[in-house]
Amino acid sequence: MSDSDDISKLDHVDMSVRELLTEMKDTSEIIVDLAYASLMYNSENMAEKVRDLEEEMDDLKFAIRYKALLSSRTKEDARQLSGLLEVASAADRISNAASDIVSLLRFPPEKRPLITDVLLESDERIRMVRVKSESTMVGYTIGKLAIEANTGCKVIAIKNRHGWTYDPEDDMKIRAGDDLVVRGTDDGADLLTEYAYGKKDWDFETEELTEEEIEEEAEADQRVEEELSEELRGDDDE
Amino acid sequence: MKSKLEAMFLELKDTSEMMVDLAYSSLLYDNVEIAEEVIALNDRMEELSERIQDEVAQVSRAMPDEVARAVITVRLMDSILEIAEAAKSVADVVVRGLAEHPVLALSIRDSDTTICLAKVAPDSILAGKTLGEMSLATNSGMFLLAIRREDDYIFGPGWNSRLESGDILIAKGPEDAVPYFKDLADGTRSEF
Repeated sequence: MSDSDDISKLDHVDMSVRELLTEMKDTSEIIVDLAYASLMYNSENMAEKVRDLEEEMDDLKFAIRYKALLSSRTKEDARQLSGLLEVASAADRISNAASDIVSLLRFPPEKRPLITDVLLESDERIRMVRVKSESTMVGYTIGKLAIEANTGCKVIAIKNRHGWTYDPEDDMKIRAGDDLVVRGTDDGADLLTEYAYGKKDWDFETEELTEEEIEEEAEADQRVEEELSEELRGDDDE
Repeated sequence: MKSKLEAMFLELKDTSEMMVDLAYSSLLYDNVEIAEEVIALNDRMEELSERIQDEVAQVSRAMPDEVARAVITVRLMDSILEIAEAAKSVADVVVRGLAEHPVLALSIRDSDTTICLAKVAPDSILAGKTLGEMSLATNSGMFLLAIRREDDYIFGPGWNSRLESGDILIAKGPEDAVPYFKDLADGTRSEF
């Protein structure tokens, strides 16, 4: 194929439109949290990650345009894809805004006290929590602990002796001495702190469901989701 | 004491975040009413930004040392407004009827932070309690974005908002918190 060389220059073209858009949405959310956190903790390292994510977002943007245009066959395709590409572009704009936010790091912290105060007062705020050696969280992965499900706090970054990990995966293990940067409500962060300091034992889900039971519940939940979706939509037409 | 500027700025930031969440919700449920709320919030953001600019100008006139801070504040405000504008663009896709592509809903469901609906049953532990007294976000892992009550919406409910039987809740959170949250709402699970 004569055009295969051109395609190889585009990153991420092996991903589907669905995967690309999911990645763009996830990135648009984590990048804003990281941008605010970098101002709060005056962290150039976090700012660097924000800029990396922003570049990554540009690659994703081109890849999704390319894939969407390739898949468009009819006028109806084009109509639907125009909406989809607008959403992708919005995610990209959010990441650009995040990258602008971290550019404020070049000003000294004492010149931006308002920002820190505002970040400390938000509905969902960013906090740093250190895991002590007596914590029952130590040795378990983020996924096993289901930290966000159990505390409402999303782990946006972890600092350990190897350095920073941003947007950590579920299989990342929590170790004594780790600093967790989390986003959540105040009482959620307080609860997480109690666990992290070993003042409270982690409450592991005790009831073990079989895979079948989990699947059945997921299917039932999906049906409810569809019914309620209809209920929301149905009322729209009135 | 919180300054006037700080209070306005806090509202600006929180609103921008709520707009993004609501915009993705409107997309997931292809829901024009939620999309229109996002657009209305964007208008409020613009008004708020003008008031912030006036306040910043006033503070800097009184205290020339504050000028550098004022510049930083206005720049951050611009970034936040850009995020709000992006949310508005997403809502606009819904209002124009261009949110039908199935991948839109699928990719929101596939996200690290997903969105779901739950209806509060009469015997649900959630019925009749405020969000604050339940610490719902902490106890369920799901953060409430909006409540649909009869024909109205309550957007961005606060700590004092009380849930009622029959409410449809729109919440965001991790996928693994969704079954538990739905169980709390439908009365299957009677304690946190």
